[in-house]
Amino acid sequence: MRGVSVVGVGMIPFGKYPAKSLADLGWPAVKAALGDAGIAPRKVQAAFCGTALGGMMAGQRILGRIGLTGIPIVNVENACSSGSTALRQGIMAIRSGEYDVVLVVGVEKLTKFGGGTLPLEEEDWEVSQGLVMPALYAMRAQRYMHDFGLTARQLAQIPVKNRANGALNPDAQMRTPVTVDQVLAARPVADPFTLLQCCPTGDGAAAIVLCATSRAAEIRADLVHVRASELTSGRYVGGYRDMTTPEITVRGAAEAYEQAGLGPQDIRVAEVHDAFSIAELLYYEAFGFCRRGEAGAFLESGATAIDGTIAVNPSGGLLAKGHPLGATGAAQVVEIVRQLRGEAGPRQVAGAKVGLSHATGGGISGFDHGACSIHIFAT
Amino acid sequence: MDSVIGLLLDTGVDDDRALLLPGDALRLAAPGGPVLVGGRCEGCGERMFPRHPVCPACMSEAVVAAEMPRHGTLYAFSTVHVAPEKWAKPFVVGYVDLANGVRVFSRLAGTVTIDGPVTLGVAEVGRDADGRPIRSFVFAAEG
Ligand SMILES: [Zn+2]
Repeated sequence: MRGVSVVGVGMIPFGKYPAKSLADLGWPAVKAALGDAGIAPRKVQAAFCGTALGGMMAGQRILGRIGLTGIPIVNVENACSSGSTALRQGIMAIRSGEYDVVLVVGVEKLTKFGGGTLPLEEEDWEVSQGLVMPALYAMRAQRYMHDFGLTARQLAQIPVKNRANGALNPDAQMRTPVTVDQVLAARPVADPFTLLQCCPTGDGAAAIVLCATSRAAEIRADLVHVRASELTSGRYVGGYRDMTTPEITVRGAAEAYEQAGLGPQDIRVAEVHDAFSIAELLYYEAFGFCRRGEAGAFLESGATAIDGTIAVNPSGGLLAKGHPLGATGAAQVVEIVRQLRGEAGPRQVAGAKVGLSHATGGGISGFDHGACSIHIFAT
Repeated sequence: MDSVIGLLLDTGVDDDRALLLPGDALRLAAPGGPVLVGGRCEGCGERMFPRHPVCPACMSEAVVAAEMPRHGTLYAFSTVHVAPEKWAKPFVVGYVDLANGVRVFSRLAGTVTIDGPVTLGVAEVGRDADGRPIRSFVFAAEG
């Protein structure tokens, strides 16, 4: 199997851009990634565009703006994993030998829906009965707190950490730090979550240029290599299911580590899917960063801070950087690549050589999550 | 939550009021009170709620109607404050584990606790775009 390397990354600052079209959110990220790679657009042989709610032909709409057309363009929908699934498709297209240079873009415009919780598929049974995404994660949190004694104050420290990181990231949507007391006093959304424990809705785009490793040295010297590209779907369970451990991520993590020939002890920096405060804690355990039931104490130890042993969400994560669904997975990779190249400025994780990105989502009845995509990168 | 409790165990058949549930998922006039009707696969015995036309365990299409237990144990719950317009807020949702192995996502009422017992009822849970009441099944804390 051919190796794949990242030769360019770019994104626009996540935020609210109600006046901009999806196409006009997307092309600046693509141009930035091509500029970062220092290659002409005509070098790109195929493109994969991830968007969850962007509608038909998102990739063509974006790439038409900058004349990057006449190549195969594949549009990918996989809920919150759309961008990372597009990335995996791009990686496989190079691995297969079909292409040498591939563009991946993730994009979303959520301001078109107004505010409130994300619009979910009304055909879904649980949605028809009133399920909203915050409630799904809130039930996980309640059960986890019941089973493992996690406190509301411990839970509130996740947004405190991630907002502090986001304050250091010019691409983050939320750039003001918050305190535990502010988190707990914010408007309730779905108990135990307040507004500050839920990722904001917003718009964004991020892009990645991939190249076959055998050709990548022609483009740049400081390469970041893909060590694992993993995608799986949740297992459908109609009956009882342990909501305190995300089975899809546990399985995906094991497969990704096996593919990379690495383990949790090798990961120095990780961008994980902290759509709600509890999620990041569940993923500490799912990735083996700490043992089951110990995520609260692990967080409090400072292990997952930028200067900790395994920096988690130095970009600010979904909670601070924002979560424009299809853009999220691609933007996580932008952060990991910048970290591994040593370009992350005040939020740089010292000595980061191996990093991981994880995007999972799709709240549908009977699944922990619908989709999960995990990537491991190394210099 | 109080508004839901007030309407709880409104079990009368009241056909001019909108019901959320399609088909026969909730049987209001069953002997002994309302009951959820799910499915049982004749191929492998899998039980499900709601009832689907095909079994997710064995792909058999021989799925017959099966009444679900009226009592269950609450696995997890949350009080929801932000949700689409049509729902009366705040409201409580949770997963109810039934003795037959099925887990049901449901509205809840009363002072519920994790691992606590709950019983099936029916209540108004919101209003549709035309202002008509929406009713659905609601599991309530026992005792
Ligand atoms: Zn069956």
